[in-house]
Amino acid sequence: MTFWKWTIAVFLVLLLAVFLVLSKMAGSPKDVYGMVRYALPHMHRGTLKIGDDAPDARLVALDGSDHFHIRERTGGRPLVLIFGSYT
Amino acid sequence: MVEIYNDYKDHADFLTVYVREAHPTDEWQMKSNVKDDVCYAQPKTLVQRVAIANDFIKRFHYPIAFGIDDINNAANDAYSAWPERFYIIDESGRVAYRGGMGPFHYDPDEVRAWLAARYGAVKHDPPTPASPRPVASLSSRK
Repeated sequence: MTFWKWTIAVFLVLLLAVFLVLSKMAGSPKDVYGMVRYALPHMHRGTLKIGDDAPDARLVALDGSDHFHIRERTGGRPLVLIFGSYT
Repeated sequence: MVEIYNDYKDHADFLTVYVREAHPTDEWQMKSNVKDDVCYAQPKTLVQRVAIANDFIKRFHYPIAFGIDDINNAANDAYSAWPERFYIIDESGRVAYRGGMGPFHYDPDEVRAWLAARYGAVKHDPPTPASPRPVASLSSRK
């Protein structure tokens, strides 16, 4: 019985530690929920490596109707790709 | 990032790829976005995503070439880009630099260092600000 009490106690302490670290990273305890619920599922390290062929994808122009491919922008000079959003 | 663009646009091409929102109102909204009046729900359609991207461009007079990821997030998935990330593609179409995942490992200085290693250090004086400083993830850092 003592073993299980200690196991549960250690587990709870670890859980609290993880929560505190995540709170520090995310900004507040409330943000921990946001990070775990909405951010972590979409964050992926990916498998692309230096030297791999750059993947292509079709992008939409700002007018919302024209399209172009990333590959159309490569081949001349180095291409810096900047991924991001407004928020 | 705009400063790096201004410093190296004579040597390299730059393309911004607008991906799904990082902190929309219906997901993990940040207080800073409320303060800066950057409040949008996660787009469900391409039209909505294009509209937000245009708001961003107009607000900050963003000068870098721009493409918007389709609503199926194909570019994001191909590059594991969300929420923000840099890559450099060399002249042969291969990945020459892969930045870390944002926001914790999103480092414009690494992009500058890659460009400086190839073209030498370039640093222009920043232009006199004529508009509010961008707050978005795309341009809030360097």
